[in-house]
Amino acid sequence: MIRAYRALFVAGIQQAAQYRIQYTLYVLFSVIRPIIFLAAWAAVATGQGGRVGDFTAEDFAGYYIALTIVIHLTTAWNSLEFELEVRQGRLSPKLLRPLHPLHYSVVENIIWKVTTLPPLVAVLALIAWTFGARFATTPLHLVLFVPSIVLAAALRFLAGWCVASLAFWFTRIQTANTLFDRTAFIFAGSIAPISLLPPILQTAAYVMPFGYMLFVPAEILRGGVTASVALLLIGGQVLWLAATFALLRVVWRAGVRTYSSVGA
Amino acid sequence: MPPVVVVRDLAKTYRVSERQEGLGATLRSIFDRTYRDVPAVAGISFEIEAGEVVGFLGPNGAGKTTTLKMLSGLLHPTAGAARVLGHVPWERAHAYLRLMTLLMGNRTQLVWDIPAADSLRVLQEIYRIDDVTYRRVLSDLVELLELGPLLHKPVRQLSLGERMKVEFAAGLIHSPAVAFLDEPTIGLDVTMQVRIRQFIREHNRRSGATILLTSHYMDDIVALCKRVLVIHHGRLLYDGGLADLAERMAPHKLIAATLHDSAAGTDLSRYGTIVGNEAGRVTLRVSRAEAPEVTARLVHDLGEGLADLSLQDPPIEEVIDRVFSGEALPT
Repeated sequence: MIRAYRALFVAGIQQAAQYRIQYTLYVLFSVIRPIIFLAAWAAVATGQGGRVGDFTAEDFAGYYIALTIVIHLTTAWNSLEFELEVRQGRLSPKLLRPLHPLHYSVVENIIWKVTTLPPLVAVLALIAWTFGARFATTPLHLVLFVPSIVLAAALRFLAGWCVASLAFWFTRIQTANTLFDRTAFIFAGSIAPISLLPPILQTAAYVMPFGYMLFVPAEILRGGVTASVALLLIGGQVLWLAATFALLRVVWRAGVRTYSSVGA
Repeated sequence: MPPVVVVRDLAKTYRVSERQEGLGATLRSIFDRTYRDVPAVAGISFEIEAGEVVGFLGPNGAGKTTTLKMLSGLLHPTAGAARVLGHVPWERAHAYLRLMTLLMGNRTQLVWDIPAADSLRVLQEIYRIDDVTYRRVLSDLVELLELGPLLHKPVRQLSLGERMKVEFAAGLIHSPAVAFLDEPTIGLDVTMQVRIRQFIREHNRRSGATILLTSHYMDDIVALCKRVLVIHHGRLLYDGGLADLAERMAPHKLIAATLHDSAAGTDLSRYGTIVGNEAGRVTLRVSRAEAPEVTARLVHDLGEGLADLSLQDPPIEEVIDRVFSGEALPT
């Protein structure tokens, strides 16, 4: 398995190298949305005498920069491509190889993140300096950030695949995908840090999986939570990851069965 | 040795939604879909022994590709059973996938943006082929397919024929014991078709792989397969030697009589239907049963006027064409 991964990495990096300019531009544009929210919240904080809840303008800067990194490191875009793979029959050769089709996209996903991280960090450093971002991160936070980001990436990846698997039953799944993205946008901490949402939405956000994909690692990276709260939130990530993994197994099996009964 | 492929009453029915054209029908179909069952394969049985190259013949929609997809494991059948190398194909056990390949002439499994050599490396690791075996198999494939200059170009820069050769290499790099080839020469020019045929024959000879192939080109089948399966409307019409196919399926034979100048112009229409007449060579179509007697009469009646006489089966394309158009049925 490790050797297969290594070979896929080599091939994947070559492939990525051919699209490096496109990739870089895409990454730079991906910064725009969080920065708009950062600018808006910074303006609100300044207007309200320097704070919104516990957040100063500089805290917002720290939060949105951490969030942008987390969004980048957890990105999963499988459903967009998977729909085409199913519709055009490109899934078939993959199903006939002794390697689960998900592995190809794990590798693609990691390659994308690794190759596009440098330009992203450069741009974020500039933004952090412009907004005077404040981080309360301790070395312990950095240590906790590692499992948290890995869990978040795995969770978002597998949840994305659960949505993508709908392509086995429906020709177009963009509506489901958009619904997933919009819900995540509200409850994952993009529109505002979860701790600033109205209480009812806050409760909902902690119960749903989306916050564990973005908000939790972002807050740990920013140093916005204590170590014990961080551990509790990581526990939540583990639970959601296990549940999503189990769900995907069921959905995938049923999906492949449908695929191979309707004409792969 | 038990047969490599065992198929028993295998059937596949697709369920397709259908509606009439027009706005009204479209709106109705949103709430009330009607489905129709389309039998693609309607219960076929056959066996293939190790090392055989078997041709699968049938017009479009006969059920050839559906059968290959079931045997390779892509499709679940609606009914019946199949075992390939002892495995139930659609369980797609990794142990089975390592032993077989499905090559479809109109589908690609290579990554377009990178050279084939890198795709092959990936396959080496996916199939866990050790380095020594990999190098040996690859050098065989490079030699047989003349791949040398093609391996290091990005796949998207290859011509259709070149790409097909590389697809073959990708499909066979793990030395599968069973290969299902679906239209492997489709869209290729004549020279490339010949090359691919030679390759398949040589590969079968060297590796002893069992091959089931479909093709629209009779030349492929004639060149490669001693045995053919003829399928039409999802049913198996014939399973046997290619040579016997004409005998079973064609109700007539062709007699070609070449006449000396002395007998030129003799009317031969009383012996059979004249289907060709050029430069003193007359071709007659006669019923299979009457052929020996008509031949004897021709020899007797024309005597010295006859320069040459031969009794032939009609061209295999014609036989197949008649079967598929419903003119001839198996006897």
